[in-house]
Amino acid sequence: MTEVSYINPLSNEGRGIIRNYGDLNQIFKEDDSLIEICTHTANQKLSDDYIPKSYHDLALKRIQWAIEKKNNKNFTQAEFEFLTNDELYLQDVVTFHILCQAIAVQFNTGSRETRLFVQSQGTLILERLAKIPPMSRAEIIDDVLDEVKIDGSIKWKSLKDIVASKRLKLTDLLIDRGDIVLQQDDFLNRFADRFHDRSPDRMYSILIGDSVKEQILSRLVMQKTEEYIKRIKEMSSRIEIHPAIIKIGEELKEFIPDETGKYNQYYAGNGGIYGSVQAGKLNPDAFPPCIQETVNGVSSGGRNDAIVLLLTSFASYARLYPRIFASEENVKVSDMDPDLTITENEILPLIFDAADNCTPPLFEDQPQEKINIISKLGFGMHDRLDINHEGETKWYTPMSCEKIKIHLPNLCHPDKSCKGINNPLSCYGRKKFQLDNAQKE
Amino acid sequence: MFSKATLKERRQYYREEWSVKDLPEFIATDLKKREFGFDHNGRGPNDRYKVFRGPESLGKFLKFKSPFAAYISVAFYNNPRRREDWLKAEYIFDVDAKDIPIRTCQCNGVCEVCLGEALEIVNSLIDTLQSDLGLKNIHLIYSGRGYHIRILDEEMMSANSELRSEVLKYAAGAEVPKSQFINPEISNKSFNFEHFTIPVGYSKIFTDKVKFNIQHLVGNEKIDGINPKLMKDILSSRHHLDNDNWGYFKRDIGPRRYKNLVAAMARVNLSTIDAKVSIDLKRILRLPSSLHSKVSMKCMEVKNRENFDPLDKAVPKFVYERKGV
Repeated sequence: MTEVSYINPLSNEGRGIIRNYGDLNQIFKEDDSLIEICTHTANQKLSDDYIPKSYHDLALKRIQWAIEKKNNKNFTQAEFEFLTNDELYLQDVVTFHILCQAIAVQFNTGSRETRLFVQSQGTLILERLAKIPPMSRAEIIDDVLDEVKIDGSIKWKSLKDIVASKRLKLTDLLIDRGDIVLQQDDFLNRFADRFHDRSPDRMYSILIGDSVKEQILSRLVMQKTEEYIKRIKEMSSRIEIHPAIIKIGEELKEFIPDETGKYNQYYAGNGGIYGSVQAGKLNPDAFPPCIQETVNGVSSGGRNDAIVLLLTSFASYARLYPRIFASEENVKVSDMDPDLTITENEILPLIFDAADNCTPPLFEDQPQEKINIISKLGFGMHDRLDINHEGETKWYTPMSCEKIKIHLPNLCHPDKSCKGINNPLSCYGRKKFQLDNAQKE
Repeated sequence: MFSKATLKERRQYYREEWSVKDLPEFIATDLKKREFGFDHNGRGPNDRYKVFRGPESLGKFLKFKSPFAAYISVAFYNNPRRREDWLKAEYIFDVDAKDIPIRTCQCNGVCEVCLGEALEIVNSLIDTLQSDLGLKNIHLIYSGRGYHIRILDEEMMSANSELRSEVLKYAAGAEVPKSQFINPEISNKSFNFEHFTIPVGYSKIFTDKVKFNIQHLVGNEKIDGINPKLMKDILSSRHHLDNDNWGYFKRDIGPRRYKNLVAAMARVNLSTIDAKVSIDLKRILRLPSSLHSKVSMKCMEVKNRENFDPLDKAVPKFVYERKGV
């Protein structure tokens, strides 16, 4: 019988395991039962030398699995088969909590390291569920989903945090009168008469079956994992963290870039996707499609948002501080451009030219937008840059692709350079990196 | 009607026709927690951060100032005068008749026809919000040139912009529904179902909206992703949709172009609504019961949305007194 904590380490059962776990100093020592279970896991192709021998080893193996699963084209599950062995649930729960704490202490909550771990937890749950016999699986799924059920059904509103984080799409769910339809009899009661040329039973199995429940479950645990990491992060400023956790956190800081770097040079190094991008002259060839369109001129309707909100923040950060999203620091324009010459001579002319290219030219009928541009650079509501006014307003960061789709749908025409990107600044960083490399070759 | 109101007409409206009772209850309740904004000269709402203790003091202000336009925040604050200590905000769908991307009238501003089409669109949105998403506290406001759907369900009032955006995409039909379904218990192969073959849930919402759009096309619309040849073929094949023969319609369009068509329709669906308004937590919106002076129409709550006729219900008396009307 599979334990609930094997699927949801944040369940009451999982918390009980943590409460009963002894000394954290033991996590670096060899653990016989861990070695025994890993060694005897079916379908495993791993030499004894690579079998995890301690909780510390198991923690690193989990992260290695996450990186390889995501990046290695020759990934072999058989080398990590022990991760889907339900006999390992005790060790797995402890390792999960160790990793959550180490990640919370070492990395920011929005960092790619945190995202990698949270994402991998969701993937691991789905892989584990797939290996559990159907009867036990249904029981475990119901058990985990119980906490979001109201009167036997799940309201979409009870999953609003997961929907807001985009882990679960409303459009992928079957929703009726606020309920997410999951059970077969419920589906048939509500919709059987709507299917004329197909069997409603079969349509239920195809459209919903167990797969939707499993998706909800894995997203729910991902969300809870993220919240748990956030809570630890907040607490870590007030309470003393165990040295073993700090040590693992420091190890992960080296381990993750090293492992990731084996598969993707660009993503390697601290700071992730933005880390390797240096400030430098703007390269228009690397502008993403939405920025190219804005620079060429926007027609009436979206002009203000395109110039003031999108281009001003994009051009200024792309030129002065392209790694803003990696740093999570509060920066000012003058930190990078102390005498404001770059801003005056390179950034503002680009923005003003784009404003002139609009139809009709933006400043002709809306000259006040010049003030808004200055304001979005952090220099208050004034008509020109003045270092003495800096800080009166905030230097706006570039809006995400998601926001562009909402605010400026006519500018969003993604091409292949946008693939896997969620902010035009990161698209620019990647494209510039590739163009710079191509030039060197 | 549809022409600008003079200061004299505005005064006449607020002093003789407007009444505190015209304020919908959901507006009058907790009025002092909202920010008000006014446009006194037709150049935009630059008299902001106003606060009123209750409907009576608001009424006095309106009668005295007779503003060109009056606005109220969707947000509730502990300190509305400074827009501080945000508590919650209504969730809004703003459909402006003049901005609907597919309009059979093709007029330059607004007319009876596009206002009617805007009403059809908001009715369909409200049906989805109620029947699918289970939202209950929904009010429809005729804004003067279109409609505002104002939602006061607590879950949505406390929602952040991200959740608002996701609900918007669902209700608007702004995403192409998934067509591949994998269920290893039945088969290792995936099943492929076009949106029109699934008569429930989001696929149905999307299908209904695409059908509405296609049936309202005139042919000269410039729609991203639909070239003139595709537009011509859509128009010549759309009769199949009268009987929901989507299979024939898709066959005539061709599978590759059909994919382009549905992607384009998802974008059209999103641009039918002013999405910026929906995700904004601090927006000000035209005050129900106030005068839309640009078009000389009353902004008012719609009680019976099935047969609301703005040209009958939302025309102020002074319009009838104008020469030549």
